[in-house]
Amino acid sequence: MKASRVIIVRGRGVLSPRREVDQKKLLQMYERGFRALTGQPDLREGFRSFFHDRDRLGLKINTIAGRELTSVPDVTLGLAKLLAGKGSLKKNIIIWDRTNRELRASGYSLNLRQGIQVFGTDTEGVGYDPTLVSHLNIGSRLSSIQAQHITASISFAILKDHGLAGVTAGMKNYFGAIHNPNKYHDFNCNPFVAELFDTQPIKNKHKLSILDCMVVQYHRGPSFHSRWAEHYNALLFSFDPVAADVAGWQIIEKLRAKKGLPSLREEDREPEYLFTAAKMGLGTAEVREIQTIEEEV
Amino acid sequence: MNRRQFFKTTGGVTLLSCSGMTSMLMDLYAFGGKANLSQVEARYYKELPEREIECLLCPRFCKLGDKERGYCGVRENIGGKYYTLVYGKVCAINVDPIEKKPFFHFLPKTNALSIATAGCNVNCKFCQNWEISQVRPEQVEHRDFPPKMVVEYARRYTCPSIAYTYTEPAVFFEYMYDTSEEARKKQVRNTVVTGGHINPEPLRDLTEVVDAIKIDLKAFSEQFYADYVRGELQPVLEAIKIVAKSGIWLEIVYLVIPSLNDSVKEIRRTCRWLLEEIGPEVPVHFSRFHPMYLVKNLPPTPVSTLERAHRVALEEGLHYVYIGNVPGHKAESTFCPKCKRVVIKRVGYHIQNVELDGGKCRFCNHPIPGIWS
Repeated sequence: MKASRVIIVRGRGVLSPRREVDQKKLLQMYERGFRALTGQPDLREGFRSFFHDRDRLGLKINTIAGRELTSVPDVTLGLAKLLAGKGSLKKNIIIWDRTNRELRASGYSLNLRQGIQVFGTDTEGVGYDPTLVSHLNIGSRLSSIQAQHITASISFAILKDHGLAGVTAGMKNYFGAIHNPNKYHDFNCNPFVAELFDTQPIKNKHKLSILDCMVVQYHRGPSFHSRWAEHYNALLFSFDPVAADVAGWQIIEKLRAKKGLPSLREEDREPEYLFTAAKMGLGTAEVREIQTIEEEV
Repeated sequence: MNRRQFFKTTGGVTLLSCSGMTSMLMDLYAFGGKANLSQVEARYYKELPEREIECLLCPRFCKLGDKERGYCGVRENIGGKYYTLVYGKVCAINVDPIEKKPFFHFLPKTNALSIATAGCNVNCKFCQNWEISQVRPEQVEHRDFPPKMVVEYARRYTCPSIAYTYTEPAVFFEYMYDTSEEARKKQVRNTVVTGGHINPEPLRDLTEVVDAIKIDLKAFSEQFYADYVRGELQPVLEAIKIVAKSGIWLEIVYLVIPSLNDSVKEIRRTCRWLLEEIGPEVPVHFSRFHPMYLVKNLPPTPVSTLERAHRVALEEGLHYVYIGNVPGHKAESTFCPKCKRVVIKRVGYHIQNVELDGGKCRFCNHPIPGIWS
């Protein structure tokens, strides 16, 4: 069963303390993850289970916290190159986030031309789609990248503790796809994270969550605090956006427990939006119903 | 965004309806160049451990980590200090009749240089200016318009007052405050059009430098504020009391939305509270709702509903009750509460006749409260 399976692949030493990437190990991690997720030994066949050659694929990353707590460009590009090579999407992958400033500050080189493109919503001529998406408690304009440019999306998110939401991961990553995320942080971001994900331009295009758990901010997030950031050296894959984030949440709880910190429930900031998402039929939030497979390369 | 779009995004205001205004606006538009965001340290916040801050400007008390913005979207924690990103960065400028704010008892028949930056600290589902209020500043075109220049332009265009309006002025507090101080030096008055979602300390400070405040009281229930405003009623009521007590001019607007806040019971409770807390002399405007932003499933407010609210307010003892957004309605005019005759005859934003003499009714000599000159 695909829906509630979560694959966690750990790669000891894949990211050095100086944030240098062991490319060979990284590739192994991706390959292992995708094979376990899709059940297909052949990667190309596996990719076809969630996107087509004609798709324009968006990798929505999260660069808001700056260089220390953003996917290392080599990690993101490693994924994009694998998808481009095995998935025949050479000209149709966009790595993107809100602003070019944040992308550059996180070490990304902008590329609007051929090959794998990298740019922010604030690029001239891109911007936010003029259509106001109104759905339940959501009233937002979506990035034109999400609304118009892409046909399929991978939420490639950083796993972080979040002072308000509890956890920020794959679903909340789409806050970076709208013009007014500041309006959705009341009530621990519940139900806003779930309801935003449930909008058509996001839900219909979302194919996969991948959580970058190379460095996990398990306390005092979403800003970077080295004292509470763990080099976890893992990637987490799931077709189920809720299960992916629940599994990420469990990682945060384990790290918190290991450091003697109270649980998120004890701090009254459990990510309730995940249960709301489950009730809305977006995925599975019950840990016992999620099949987690851990691998190591 | 080109010039035409820039004008269009200024909140749907009728800036071009004023004769001779087009050339002025072209001139206003021409100042400065495209601007970056500001980085001026905010007032009213406290630093917390681990580079976090707590904003003390409005009742949300946003607690923010490094690189995070408040609910308003225009104030950011940068390395443990809090900054306003919109100081002097206007996204809307117009010369409006003061009646449009609306202020009906404040320098009638004059224009106000009206300005706004992006941002708002609530999220009303019926917002008429959401394209500039519900966005972050980098998402709209804005121009550098420092305080001294605002005052200079007000004088150049014969505006005896500046109006901080369209979005929520509380979120550009520092800019509004400094501009008001500059304006006072040049005998230009300051008016504020606000939702009143601001903490007592900054509000009291503001009343020291401005001349009039109009507060939108959006309903008289916490539930409405939670569901449709994403804010709280109680701080707004506190704000109304603070402004009334300060001695500066105050007017209240109540946007009447069919089925949401238009019951006789709610209108009556509102009026009783106003009468008890701030007295009968504060003008109250019941304005007509038009479907907008996220509330498009309701019809415009029937005029009969507004007339009912108007009647209830008079029954409860309020003296100056108006109906707004219904051009030509007789309740746009000011009636002397003593002799019941029209002392200011209005049609839309146009004033046809003023029958006041030294702030008193010309027919019976009854004093009409307001700032008339």
